[in-house]
Amino acid sequence: MELLLGIILILLLAISGTPIFVVILSLAMLGFYVADVPLMVIAVELYRISDTPLLLALPLFTLAGYLLAESNSSTRLVNVTQALIGWLPGGLSMIAFITCAMFTAFTGASGVTIVAVGALLYPALQQVGYSERYSLGLVTTSGSLGLLLAPSLPLILYGIMAQQMGVGEPFTIQQLFVAGVIPALLMVVLLSVWSLWHNRGRQIAMQKFEAGNVRSALWEARWEIPLPLFVIGGIYGGFFAVSETAAVIALYVLIVEVFIYKEVSLRQLPGVVRRAVAMVGGIILILGVSLAFTNVLVDAEVPTKAFELIQSVVKDKWTFLILLNIFLLILGAILDIFSAIVIMVPILLPVAVAYGIDPVHLGIIFLANMQIGYFTPPVGMNLFIASYRFNKPITELYKAALPFMAVLIVALLLITYIPWLSLGLIR
Amino acid sequence: MNKSIRLFHFLEDALLYLITAGLIGLAILQIWLRNVHDSGIYWGDSALRVFVFWLAMVGAMVASRESGHISIDAFTHYLRPAQRRMLGVLTSLFSAFICLLAAWYCLAFVLDEREYGDIAFAQVPVWICEAIIPVALATMGLRFLIQIFVPLPETKS
Repeated sequence: MELLLGIILILLLAISGTPIFVVILSLAMLGFYVADVPLMVIAVELYRISDTPLLLALPLFTLAGYLLAESNSSTRLVNVTQALIGWLPGGLSMIAFITCAMFTAFTGASGVTIVAVGALLYPALQQVGYSERYSLGLVTTSGSLGLLLAPSLPLILYGIMAQQMGVGEPFTIQQLFVAGVIPALLMVVLLSVWSLWHNRGRQIAMQKFEAGNVRSALWEARWEIPLPLFVIGGIYGGFFAVSETAAVIALYVLIVEVFIYKEVSLRQLPGVVRRAVAMVGGIILILGVSLAFTNVLVDAEVPTKAFELIQSVVKDKWTFLILLNIFLLILGAILDIFSAIVIMVPILLPVAVAYGIDPVHLGIIFLANMQIGYFTPPVGMNLFIASYRFNKPITELYKAALPFMAVLIVALLLITYIPWLSLGLIR
Repeated sequence: MNKSIRLFHFLEDALLYLITAGLIGLAILQIWLRNVHDSGIYWGDSALRVFVFWLAMVGAMVASRESGHISIDAFTHYLRPAQRRMLGVLTSLFSAFICLLAAWYCLAFVLDEREYGDIAFAQVPVWICEAIIPVALATMGLRFLIQIFVPLPETKS
């Protein structure tokens, strides 16, 4: 009874704005206390995260992402893509989808894509003839496109969490990265097709293909072109370990943005480093306390009980998957992606595996849901960021985002019910 | 701002930059040694892990200076400033209590570990590597405590 009361109290404090790490830490401490485990174990559990080999990749990729976001790399990325595919029908929409996806993969869906890339594309889209609402919806919903592509932080975090649990068929982080490629492409393709159909009656100005433009855009971005190659060769190709790639990319981006492009001055650098480390420190702390919390849950047999409870109602895998999607969509709108991963994966993964779902497939489904959760009305975070950035009332953003959301839900359903899309390349 | 608080911020920042530089430097050095010279510092990987751990803890400390920790703000968005402030006092009080309590137990643990004197890597004992845990928790706890009386400026999210 006291336990239940304590849990309810903590959850109330959670939705009142208590930092997530405090919420999870207090739940873990309550659990240890009830189970008569000395609370000194907290230190052991926290220190245990230093055993995770992949952990090194988190601060390094984050730092690289912050430096990229701070410089004009978004402009150069848009220019290169525009020069390459701007001549296609619906070109600018496709440019938007592709650049947002690439930028988000590097910087995480922290809203920085909307601010850095979306702000460039929003006026450009209207200029060539797209409607205001369409443009607004596009930049808002594309702010989380690319979560499924390496080296996105949530993908790595899911990998760390799932590998710690060690249930279901084992997988490497490379396999998880590869698994995200087709689903991410599917989203971009569906969005592009829909965008062509939706704007079929409009006069959209098209750009001519000019080799000169391509050359100058590529030349401008010559120092950043190697970055996707590092990712493709290093991570997808498996030539380097993920954390080695992260170290090389972090150092490379640091040198390029600070000393070659000189867009982050030596005076600004400490501030950027501090913000990046504070952000990633917060996430690693959440990861640490959630490992402790996971142990409490496992000791209390919560995953087993959750499975028994769910199985008494839900008989087959397909019904489970649809309920999972609904649950995760709501969760993704309320909870930030990192907390959602560390809190829900320990409970969901064993249940999903018991229903015969591959851990890699679950990860892709999980993140695809979270990606949509970012702009699910009424509380998806990107809606607020876009409303703030483009100075539009939030209700207008709801309307603008809905059609894009519908397209991405179609993609989500395909990803959920055709496991091959995620597993075809790796299993 | 108080002089001693400024000094503390300076020390935190200095530690953060130092570890970041050390982390990137050591990681690159290891890659270089491994791939070019087919060798490596044998405690290098263990040291890197401890560096990341320290960096995370110091980062979390710095995050608590501003409201840098992730929290659920989906519902508090809709409250009036006065109501938000009231909830802020409540959540800060709770956060301070939890962090300080955890810091206390972690300190006891680290002191125990010092008795054992195990080595983490090179000549560095384990307890030194773990010592950042109570320090970080206590610092964050004290900051939450201060925030009960001196609210942080509202940040845009």
